[in-house]
Amino acid sequence: MQKQKASSGGSKGSGILLNAVLILFSLLTILPFLWMLSSSLKTNVEISALEQSFLPKAPTLQNYLNAIEKMNFLRYFFNSFAYAVAITVITLYTSSISGFVLCKYRFKGRQLLFSCILATMMVPGVVTIIPRYSMMQLAGWLDSWRALIVPSLFTSFGIFMMRQSCTGIPDEMLEAARIDGANEFYIFHRIILPMLQNALSSIAIFQFLWAWEDYLWPYLMIRSESKQVLSVALNMFSGRYSTDYAGLFAATSIAIIPVVICYLFFQRRFIEGIASSAVKG
Amino acid sequence: MNAIHRRHPLRSSSEVVLRNLVVCGLCCFFILFFLVPIVVAFLGSFHLWNPLKGQYRFNGLTNWKMVFESSLFWRSMGNTFIFAAVAVLARVILGLLLSCALHSKTVRFLSTLRTLYYLPTITPMVAVAFVWKFMYDPQFGLLNQLLGAHINWLFDARYAMTAIVLLTIWKDFGYAVVILLGGLYSLPTDLYEAAGIDGANAAQKFRYMTLPLLKPTILFIVITSLISYFQTYIPVMVLTQGGPGTQTYLASYIIYDQAFVKYNFGYASAISFVLFLIIALLTGLSFRLSGQTEKER
Repeated sequence: MQKQKASSGGSKGSGILLNAVLILFSLLTILPFLWMLSSSLKTNVEISALEQSFLPKAPTLQNYLNAIEKMNFLRYFFNSFAYAVAITVITLYTSSISGFVLCKYRFKGRQLLFSCILATMMVPGVVTIIPRYSMMQLAGWLDSWRALIVPSLFTSFGIFMMRQSCTGIPDEMLEAARIDGANEFYIFHRIILPMLQNALSSIAIFQFLWAWEDYLWPYLMIRSESKQVLSVALNMFSGRYSTDYAGLFAATSIAIIPVVICYLFFQRRFIEGIASSAVKG
Repeated sequence: MNAIHRRHPLRSSSEVVLRNLVVCGLCCFFILFFLVPIVVAFLGSFHLWNPLKGQYRFNGLTNWKMVFESSLFWRSMGNTFIFAAVAVLARVILGLLLSCALHSKTVRFLSTLRTLYYLPTITPMVAVAFVWKFMYDPQFGLLNQLLGAHINWLFDARYAMTAIVLLTIWKDFGYAVVILLGGLYSLPTDLYEAAGIDGANAAQKFRYMTLPLLKPTILFIVITSLISYFQTYIPVMVLTQGGPGTQTYLASYIIYDQAFVKYNFGYASAISFVLFLIIALLTGLSFRLSGQTEKER
């Protein structure tokens, strides 16, 4: 204890200063969110008034009601949620089963297959999106949920992460189960899958966030407003109701707040998740 | 002993079925959604390709010539390089400063601070870009109020790019902080104690120990950031649409604009391949560099 204090070198004053600076910086970081929240409770008159105050003078939830009633934001919220959950659940399953096979089975071309999957991680989305759009058009899948979900059935990132986690499972365990007469499907679903919980939950978090913020693909695929997702709807309404700042603040809050709440609940997992994804570097 | 496990000769039928299912699924998926699109995009770059008009006609190198003769393309490439360089530099420097500060023993509320710094990174880009669009509003925006300035951020050619860079830095610095902090925790403490006994001061320790030891982590951040910044278009789309003039056109935004606003698929494919090449080069470079740091160890 004594030693640590000495080695950190700073006096008490500089320690307080350091803490103050760090706290100030964190407040600056979340200031845009606080401002958004407070503005979403103001009226349009108050937002564009000459005299500005940070906090709303007479907080109102009317903007949220407007966003829900006039702009139908609950619908988009639900669509985004369903889309993100569907993709997350599917990719968790496909990633873990692919990671398991690529890690535990020995077969010809395994290494090549895995290298190819890794290589796709470096392909920028802008290269593949134009042909993918044409493919969906050809298949007649535009404006359907298939078009959103099928191109995300597998993710190279998920497969990579799951393969890494599977290396931690001893082969002896599989052998023991095999000797007991378990078939491979049983082994994967009942023995392997439960052991991959940690990796599954970090992939789930990333996948969900990516799907939740996905903009371009749903924008290109979905035509009817009733099937649209939140980020696209947000951009759509910013054009349509460009002067209703209060309504747009509320709509933006609807897209951001659930993510923030979810993050605050699972923050430990989030941070562990990105730390483990960086290890590959 | 290992050999027995590695090549168990009694492969059960269920293993063969499961393996074939997975390999088949993977091959179909990656061929259909990666290999085919890459080939199609490459072929498409030699065609006059407009899906709205139903055009798909070979036109040789016309698209490529148009790309390299277009001043907007060069302008946007220049913008992209500046944008990426500034954003990466800021991300690394802020990340280093904050992670080292958080690493110091006197810091209280470490996990709360880290959580707050990381908050912008997890929030959806489109929504966050809208918040910043309002922050930049010359009439009621928070930024001018805070700075006591009267800047028309998004419509003034001098500030538009700064506005996009600021948003990007704010959104991403937390990622660098978390990863570098992880790197700092993995450094050997006894080495620092030894250096302390030898009379090294804090600055010397940072310069000659922390920085070299964190090099692989910093490199990882630089490369992944560069790759993602070369593909940035959402902030441009929400904040400025490339304006004022061509001030904030980024390479990816041109592709987006040409492909899905003007439906020049062939031309957009050609640009996307240029971008692909640059990103492939960067990735290759990163492997070379990380190979070198391996050797240095």
